[in-house]
Amino acid sequence: MSQALANDPKREDIVRLVDVSKIYRQGKIEVRAVDNLSLEIDTGDFCALCGPSGSGKTTVLNMIGGLDIPTHGQVFLERRDLASLSRGEVAAIRRDRIGFVFQAYNLIPVMTAYENAEFVLKLQGVSAVECHTRVMTILKEVGLVGLEHRRPDEMSGGQQQRVAIARAIVTRPAIVLADEPTANVDSATADSLLDLMQKLNRQDGITFLFSTHDKRVMDRARRIVRMRDGRIESDEVQG
Amino acid sequence: MNITSFALRNIQRNWHRSLVTTGAMAFAGMIMILYVSFIEGIYLGGLRSALALNLGEIQIHAKGYRSDPDLYTRIMDEKGTLTKLSDLGLHATPRLFGYGLAAAGTASAGVQIRGVYVDLEKRVIKLHEYLAEGTWLDQQDAKGVVVGRRLARTLGVKPGGEVVIVSQAADGSMANDLFHVRGVLKSVSDEIDRGGFFMLETTFRKLMILPEGVHEIVIMRDGKKTDLKQETAHLAAMFPDYEVDSWRTLSPMMATIMDSSDTSIYILLLITYVAVAMVVLNAMLMSVFERIREFGIMKAIGFGPWQLIALIYTETVIQIIIAIVLALALGLPLSYYYQVNGIDLTNFVSGTTFGGIAFDPIWRTLITPRAVISPIVTLAIIALIAVIYPAVKAALIRPVSAIHHQ
Ligand SMILES: Nc1ncnc2c1ncn2[C@@H]1O[C@H](COP(=O)(O)OP(=O)(O)O)[C@@H](O)[C@H]1O
Ligand SMILES: [Mg+2]
Repeated sequence: MSQALANDPKREDIVRLVDVSKIYRQGKIEVRAVDNLSLEIDTGDFCALCGPSGSGKTTVLNMIGGLDIPTHGQVFLERRDLASLSRGEVAAIRRDRIGFVFQAYNLIPVMTAYENAEFVLKLQGVSAVECHTRVMTILKEVGLVGLEHRRPDEMSGGQQQRVAIARAIVTRPAIVLADEPTANVDSATADSLLDLMQKLNRQDGITFLFSTHDKRVMDRARRIVRMRDGRIESDEVQG
Repeated sequence: MNITSFALRNIQRNWHRSLVTTGAMAFAGMIMILYVSFIEGIYLGGLRSALALNLGEIQIHAKGYRSDPDLYTRIMDEKGTLTKLSDLGLHATPRLFGYGLAAAGTASAGVQIRGVYVDLEKRVIKLHEYLAEGTWLDQQDAKGVVVGRRLARTLGVKPGGEVVIVSQAADGSMANDLFHVRGVLKSVSDEIDRGGFFMLETTFRKLMILPEGVHEIVIMRDGKKTDLKQETAHLAAMFPDYEVDSWRTLSPMMATIMDSSDTSIYILLLITYVAVAMVVLNAMLMSVFERIREFGIMKAIGFGPWQLIALIYTETVIQIIIAIVLALALGLPLSYYYQVNGIDLTNFVSGTTFGGIAFDPIWRTLITPRAVISPIVTLAIIALIAVIYPAVKAALIRPVSAIHHQ
């Protein structure tokens, strides 16, 4: 089925994993976190990576973002083979093309919400004035107006997660990789975060790939890829 | 992105850790400044006091006096010589020497009788400031003498005590007279400690029946920064009838100690600096590795490896600057305190001499350019080297490993 998708000329994939395996070695024990997995994600998709804990979701997201390197196989992002790029080039891709939302420890602890959201823009060399406009717009969008000057340790888990999402989207990346973005927040917050992500997906065409094992989150996805033991168990597009 | 302002913000926001890192460096720097200034004080101080208290920098004698210090071998034109020297801007003082036996009560000891031009001597030699007890010679007190530390002990005299001197005068007659002790010197040198017997020049001339000439002229170049060798050669050419020698020739032993002390200073410094390097390295390692997760997030969202190295180095440089300012602010007053007050080791060692130089039992620091510059430069170099490893490690570590780093 993935073969069929790959051969469809109308589809433009932003992410392509080809026979990717990731093996972690802990002493003598080998853990096959991802096992010979192939996957394409279309540009503009809103895709959920589901599966029980330990099924390899985080590992897949990390490899797509160039945070981790596969033991075997290839990872393409916007048709570029990540393995062929230098650390600096991969860092630049992360800066300019990817928005990251991690499961935890998302924010830089010494920086305020505002500064965290602004960080990547500053790395990109965006002017201070434009930074300000864009950051304030996004913070408003994620409902953090008034909390700009709080540090991560002065915010709730949900608020921190919103800052992370704000930071991920403020640069208008091609793709947002979100690892269990709703895992540490209450359901009302989860709903509003999902609303926001959906809106950005529809409005700006940003591709979203997120991992989750939350049923309500899955319901919102256009496409659901189920994983188990590092393999794809099922892959379906919801009506 | 402005790395410097980012670095400043990190330092300021992490003030707790910054305090530990800069504090460790500043403390290390302070200790080094104190330590080096103590070494400078002990060695250079030893040299300076030997020169300032007795030897002077250059001495002039009549030909043959040094090999055979005879009462008759004199510089006869001392007035003319002194005038010439003073025209050159040099401070100089003549001296007279004789030998005799000193007796007090039942005790006696061989002494070197020294005739001193009190007013001139004061301008050249600082011995008058170096009394353990009593006071220095006085023009009004013809029979007042000052004696060396051990000599006073041997004779069992204190200021106020009486000493009889017996010697052979220049005319062959027996010289003897009764003197009273005005002062006892601190430890100066072996020779003076054991046998130094100081009296007025006029008193000496009467005792020894030696109305003319002097045995020695001592010169200090206070403030004059000319090369010692050149100055000595110049004077030797000026006074071809006399022997002109620098302290290096007069006390080759001391010259050797002073020259070799440079090497020993560096060995001692190396040991201290290695210890300091450990402290700084540890502080640097902590400061980077504690934040490896933070750096992991920054890298994950696009902060490049070179940017990270630049950031860590900028932070380090800023902290080094702060640490240097602190080290100076703490180290200099502390060193200065010990330069003024010293650490009194009189109870542990009593007037140690080494190669004829008395090492003052009161250890004092001496703030020299080296005592300030070498600790600062070393501190900066150590910190910059120490941070290479953690910075490179942080730059190379994969963001995932960093984020999951404990
Ligand atoms: N750094 C690592 N070292 C060793 N094993 C790891 C590491 N990261 C993940 N794993 C293992 O790989 C498997 C997949 O982990 P992960 O991708 O985090 O799954 P998920 O995100 O679906 O919970 C798990 O068995 C996990 O223990
Ligand atoms: Mg996970």
